[in-house]
Amino acid sequence: MGVRRYTRMAYKDPDEMVFGHAKFPVQEHWGVQFGAGYVVPEVKVAPEAGTERSKETLVKEMASIAEQAAARAVDIGLPAFMLEQEHVFQQTFHPDWGYACTAAQAEVLKKYYDEYGVKAALRQTVGDLRIEEKGGLRGSDYDNKIAETIEECCKAGASDIAAETMGGKAVLDYGVMRGDIRAILFGIGYLGSIDMEYFWKRAVDICSKYDARPAGDTNCSGANTCMYVAGGLLGKDMSHTAAALARAISAARSLVAVECGATGPLKDCGYENTIIKAITGVPICQEGKNAVCAHADLMGNLTCQVVDCWSNESVFHREEMGGPTPAVWLQATGYEAALMNTAIQTGNAKTLRDLYTFTDMYRDPQGTLLAYPNAYRVGKAITEYGKDIYLRARAAALEASKIITEAYEAKLLQLTRFELDTLRKYTSILEGLPMEADVFVDQCMREYPRKIPTFDPKSYGL
Amino acid sequence: MTFADWAKKSDSDMVFKRFNVIIEGPAIKPEEDPDVKRVLPKEEPFKSLAMNVIFGDMKAVDATKTALEKVPPLDVIEKGLAKGMDAVSALYAKGAYFLPDIMLSADAMTAAIGVAEQKLGKAREKKGTVVSFVAEGDPHDIGKNLVVMFLKANGFETVDLGRDVPNQDVIAAVKKHKPVMLTGTALMTTTMTAFPKVAEMLKQQGLTVPVFGCGGGAVKRDFVESFDMGVYGVKAFHAPKLAEATLAGKSYKDLRKEYPKIVGEFVTEYADRM
Repeated sequence: MGVRRYTRMAYKDPDEMVFGHAKFPVQEHWGVQFGAGYVVPEVKVAPEAGTERSKETLVKEMASIAEQAAARAVDIGLPAFMLEQEHVFQQTFHPDWGYACTAAQAEVLKKYYDEYGVKAALRQTVGDLRIEEKGGLRGSDYDNKIAETIEECCKAGASDIAAETMGGKAVLDYGVMRGDIRAILFGIGYLGSIDMEYFWKRAVDICSKYDARPAGDTNCSGANTCMYVAGGLLGKDMSHTAAALARAISAARSLVAVECGATGPLKDCGYENTIIKAITGVPICQEGKNAVCAHADLMGNLTCQVVDCWSNESVFHREEMGGPTPAVWLQATGYEAALMNTAIQTGNAKTLRDLYTFTDMYRDPQGTLLAYPNAYRVGKAITEYGKDIYLRARAAALEASKIITEAYEAKLLQLTRFELDTLRKYTSILEGLPMEADVFVDQCMREYPRKIPTFDPKSYGL
Repeated sequence: MTFADWAKKSDSDMVFKRFNVIIEGPAIKPEEDPDVKRVLPKEEPFKSLAMNVIFGDMKAVDATKTALEKVPPLDVIEKGLAKGMDAVSALYAKGAYFLPDIMLSADAMTAAIGVAEQKLGKAREKKGTVVSFVAEGDPHDIGKNLVVMFLKANGFETVDLGRDVPNQDVIAAVKKHKPVMLTGTALMTTTMTAFPKVAEMLKQQGLTVPVFGCGGGAVKRDFVESFDMGVYGVKAFHAPKLAEATLAGKSYKDLRKEYPKIVGEFVTEYADRM
């Protein structure tokens, strides 16, 4: 399949967007639909350390996670849920392990679907094992294993396939550590987009042979690294305005999966998903306040705003006072999804949506950017340069800067001196960048290959 | 009602407080900060050398060349450039400086030290060697890169093994470099299992390191303290302080007990050891 660049928005107005509804809903096996009028809760659990020592122990662990989640879903009356499994190294590196683990979980979910009618989806998120400086991103042993494992997971009954690919990370990390917005733009927006096209053309092709949806990819390795490094309000490693610009750029990059044929629901840790939903109309997973078992963010309510599948992100597999963590955390996301579904059923969805959004809209510039009316604006900026992966990423960052500046000048959002200085400095740099992609790339290639030993230009066809 | 209308009608203090803005005091020049004044040299050329490092100014290189005409290289480094880095560390610790500031300062200092070492005729003696790696099967390395950067900026020789490092390569590096500290980072529960394996392999081969500092996304203190030599590292910038405490004779058990005291701040993860 070719790459279909978005030059128009799926929605005419941001107010059309709401949780539980997408312009292009997705149907997966065992009865689940995403974006078809209800929100689906998701649970994801990391296998206990040590269970990866053999295929047998890991398969048992996977089955146990699925059983604990499904049993709780029935116990508390959830109509539907998604179980996602992010692969550990061994699951992706050994395609037969990927198959066996997927099959074990699929068997459990199908059992509960057949017996109780609880709708269930099984997402398999393959690990991006590729190491740029060891074998490159294309054609290495690791790269080939990923493709094989995607296929094995599809064969074994996965409902959909997702990934968190790492293209552009070496340059992005350099940009984060040095406060270099040009490196951030080059790493995420340009290199990341190139790698996304390479990865997702192949993944979509593989999934098309099976009843498995190519769901999508997040910029966990880029924008989430920025969010994580930026930390909380007292964090001192990265300006939150810089993290917001990185997030805007990441939307232009993560969009590529959909342009290659990915259908959504886009993966949970993609905070940029609201922007992509505005552009494409595909359903999205998100995480926030019910993902505190995994990490802290500054927009725990806001991320509910237009979600279609609500996730806990990840949690250790162990016992809590309330039971095993697959059960406990599916219950948490399940109750939030139930609230959203009640709002939909009683005609109060938009009110709840706006309450979610407003709670965090001015808590932090990253939330300001992602509030759905603002996310829509960033989406529009991307589509205005839709055919050019560099210009659209640059445009996204500049629109993000405008949004944050407007909120600051209207005294709705307060900023520290560091946040304001960074915003102004980075905006000035972005504005001064060339309007021709090849000129920009040339500038970057004169500098970054020699400064970043782990950056492999050949991995991007450069 | 629009969000702007809601914003006018509601009291956001009842919903959130931007504490970073609330506690931000007036802008102060770095050289006037009390913690900086404590470490900043008073005499020239040391003061200017330190100031160039504080501002991440590559003029540090020319300033070093000039200073070397009259001052011995080791004094240029220890009494000038390194003091600048001490000041930068103080500013970072209190949130006045951020990561990119440290990088720029480290770059300026490294370039200037290179000039001084040329005059010296050899590399200056580092405080000690630290070997750092990311666990086998794990591609996430920004945490390790930050650890290496902070160690370098604080005068340690660093051996960076990279990411997805097989355990036997870690052992080989320890055998070769005999580090004062080994650091390992991992993002995932299933890659952090490399750490106890490395500790066990070291023991089996009759090797020890004074401290095996481990950290990263999924890594937790109780896991790291379950094997010998393990010390749970909370923040990357704690690494040099742990290494220095080791050089001062502290064992890994001391580091576990005295972590907050050694790093000089309250650490939630060690709240029971305050």
